[in-house]
Amino acid sequence: MKMISNSVKNELIRVVGAKNASFSREELVCYAYDATNKLSLPDAVVFPSTPEEISLVLKMANSEGFPVIPRGAGSGFSGGSVPVEGGVVVSFERMTKILEIDTENLVAVVEPGVVTWDLQQSVERLGLFYPPDPSSHRFSTIGGNIAECAGGPRAVKYGVTRDYVLGLEAVLPTGEIVTTGVRTAKGVVGYDLTKLFVGSEGTLGIVTKAVLKLLPLPEATKTMLATFPKMTEAAKAVSAIIRGKVIPSTLEIIDRVSLRCVEEYSKTGLPDVEAMLLIEVDGPKDSLERDCRTVEAICREHGGADFRVAEGKEEVKKLWEARRSISASLYRVKPNKINEDIVVPRSRIPELVEGLGKISAARGVLIASFGHAGDGNIHVNVMYDKKSAAEAAAAEAAVTDVFTLTLSLSGTISGEHGVGTAKQKYLEMELSPAAIEAMKRIKASFDPKGILNPGKIFPKAGAKTAAAGTKAPL
Amino acid sequence: MKKLLELRSEIDKCVRCGTCRSTCPTFKVIGRETSCARGRVTLVAEYMNGGVGLSETFLKHLKECTLCGACRSKCPNGVDTVAIFAAARRDVTEKQGVPFAASIIFKNLLASGGIMSLGLKLATRLQGLFFRDASAGVGLLSRFSLPLVGSGRLVPPLAPTSFLDLPEVKSAEGKADKKDGPSVAFYAGCGINYLMPEVGLKSLEAVRRAGASVSVPQGQACCGMPAYAMGDIATARSMALKNLEVFEAADADFIVTSCATCGHGLKSLMASLLADSPELKARAEKIAAKTRDISELLIKELGFKAKGRVAERRVVTYHDPCHLGRAQGLREEPRELLKMGPGVVLKEMKNPCLCCGLGGGLMYNNYELSMEIAAKKAENIKKSGAEFVATACPGCIVQLRDGLHRSGVDVKVCHVVELLSEEKP
Repeated sequence: MKMISNSVKNELIRVVGAKNASFSREELVCYAYDATNKLSLPDAVVFPSTPEEISLVLKMANSEGFPVIPRGAGSGFSGGSVPVEGGVVVSFERMTKILEIDTENLVAVVEPGVVTWDLQQSVERLGLFYPPDPSSHRFSTIGGNIAECAGGPRAVKYGVTRDYVLGLEAVLPTGEIVTTGVRTAKGVVGYDLTKLFVGSEGTLGIVTKAVLKLLPLPEATKTMLATFPKMTEAAKAVSAIIRGKVIPSTLEIIDRVSLRCVEEYSKTGLPDVEAMLLIEVDGPKDSLERDCRTVEAICREHGGADFRVAEGKEEVKKLWEARRSISASLYRVKPNKINEDIVVPRSRIPELVEGLGKISAARGVLIASFGHAGDGNIHVNVMYDKKSAAEAAAAEAAVTDVFTLTLSLSGTISGEHGVGTAKQKYLEMELSPAAIEAMKRIKASFDPKGILNPGKIFPKAGAKTAAAGTKAPL
Repeated sequence: MKKLLELRSEIDKCVRCGTCRSTCPTFKVIGRETSCARGRVTLVAEYMNGGVGLSETFLKHLKECTLCGACRSKCPNGVDTVAIFAAARRDVTEKQGVPFAASIIFKNLLASGGIMSLGLKLATRLQGLFFRDASAGVGLLSRFSLPLVGSGRLVPPLAPTSFLDLPEVKSAEGKADKKDGPSVAFYAGCGINYLMPEVGLKSLEAVRRAGASVSVPQGQACCGMPAYAMGDIATARSMALKNLEVFEAADADFIVTSCATCGHGLKSLMASLLADSPELKARAEKIAAKTRDISELLIKELGFKAKGRVAERRVVTYHDPCHLGRAQGLREEPRELLKMGPGVVLKEMKNPCLCCGLGGGLMYNNYELSMEIAAKKAENIKKSGAEFVATACPGCIVQLRDGLHRSGVDVKVCHVVELLSEEKP
């Protein structure tokens, strides 16, 4: 697509105001990346404050033919907010208001730039609960969470962002402002556009307001730690806990490499063991003791060596800070990594863990695994140094192996990060050509000119992709 | 101190995860990517690559940082952001020169015969003229205020007699007597010397009460932190060298300061500034090893215990100076000392580690932004319900007073040592 012209620049300034439109390289370079650490310069960044302003920008994009890229905090892991084809970044850094917390109907209405943590703090003060908690929740935004359908540790019990979005206000790529969904507990009028927008990676519309479901805040939470001499034993314990009909609010697995890296950063006093489970149960106080005992018994049965309940708010806070920092701290062992967030049915986690070990050995690459074992979502980090061509090639090959393994176990190649640019070439491994074509037709009907967040999800025609199709039937 | 070119690998360590967006005080106010560490690191990288030059926009974003270190302390990859930004400022300063007003002040702070120069002495006498209203803002001290900044600003008056010129301080020159317990050399720093000598006197009193003998070496210079923050490394280095000589001559068991920034300056900046000479660096490290913050000295080294006297209840909240909490890891000691004050009841505010907004020359570079950060702090202080806010850095004290005043919050600001006695600060 072409660079934007001076008349477009002037028009953008007219729409959002001179203070809210940036064209200098100094400003553009700061909106060129996300947490994938890949940079691609936009031609402009605008900071709108209303859906009407965004509508005008999109209409202009259609007539002038430039890309528009919505951006929350730029903390995504798949390149969703990276302006890979240039164009105008629409930043939500000015749309950060919590518009309403309705304590009678357990609903919050927010602008997309609200930081997830800020919303959580605000509703918790009122005894309410917004569960989705991606590791980035202290800085990522609700808009970005919706675009990528963010999950987090609590998904094992509470589900992901999708499960909390009741309704949306969004601007369609062609500029119309629509509202979707409801602010009631139920609603089946027409197609469920709300759910279609959630996880669409900013390719079908730009969310400008979200109606979110809230829950009552659980009365109490208990945090436990269990260590295991082997990853496979920890993985078996995870499956057994679920089978044992305890649904923890979080059930995280952390392997040795991850433990070592994050301990170096956080000095939390994490054990130097092969595997650790970080388990939380929540609910009414009197039921927690029983749940803790059940979990402890299962862990011990499966070779859990050390089991203890974390004491005090400070320790719990530190443990979680450490857990949330694993991903970024892994760069301490190798300068580069391929970060995948595969999911398998929970009963198959032991097979997955065993398979990852084999892939690591066969390809000669270090694989660090940690993540939301309780819902089968494991963050697999293939570590390498891109300066070594051999290492980079081995890492690439290992990733394909990991996906093949995942799909053979009836899993999926992305649980909560999305496809973006990072997983495009693997799309055909999971989706059939007919499914991809159907999705492309949906995209074309919303965005006939392809101006909204182009270059995401679908590989370009002729791009090199992994071999298609090995997914086990659902 | 590492130059920008030597920090390439440090810059490459940033993986752009965005964690710093949750910690940066300037991002909390400005709310744009260019005002958080991730954006600034990217800008510095781009500057090194030649993608951006010494433009107004680049300099604005580079100077907006308070160098508080909050991003560094939470960075999962341990990127030394403060080193990167300080080196970038140095690089810029070496190309552009030190801002004129700042250069005059630094020269004064370095002048021979003590921190106090003739220019500053004159200013003290003339301050009636200068300070006719708060808007004149004749700060002659780089950390605290600079000439003719915006209106309505609360400017601390210069002390009629600076700390180092007080007769009781002058008489404490020379080597401390080692017969009576450990010997302690007191480092005043600009804030205590020019603006709040009473904090210096209270500190001396506390050290003596704790059973140590104390001396105040004359000839001590500014710690160099303000010049460092402005990128004037040559001046900062001269200051470090001077202090090194003065405190080596003092030959005390400990060097103590009641200023968080100066403490950080002596403990880590001095050796870093003199690192170009292995010999000087080794000497500076010896000085660093002897240096203690006042609360650290009293609690950890001297086992100070104030007598528990019954007194009027004072509800006090505590502000962690960035250069004490984050830079020196001292969070418990000042609180412990504070609780020894007669009648003191400590009531924590929300986010006590949030920068007050003064640091990194921000008060000089962008006073409005600095005050917006202070307003956030003022709100937290107000909500704590305390009658006093105590801290351990004269810089923070000046900033908090100004910020609270602007926000119309009636809470008194004082140094921790001022609450150790019964009279009201």
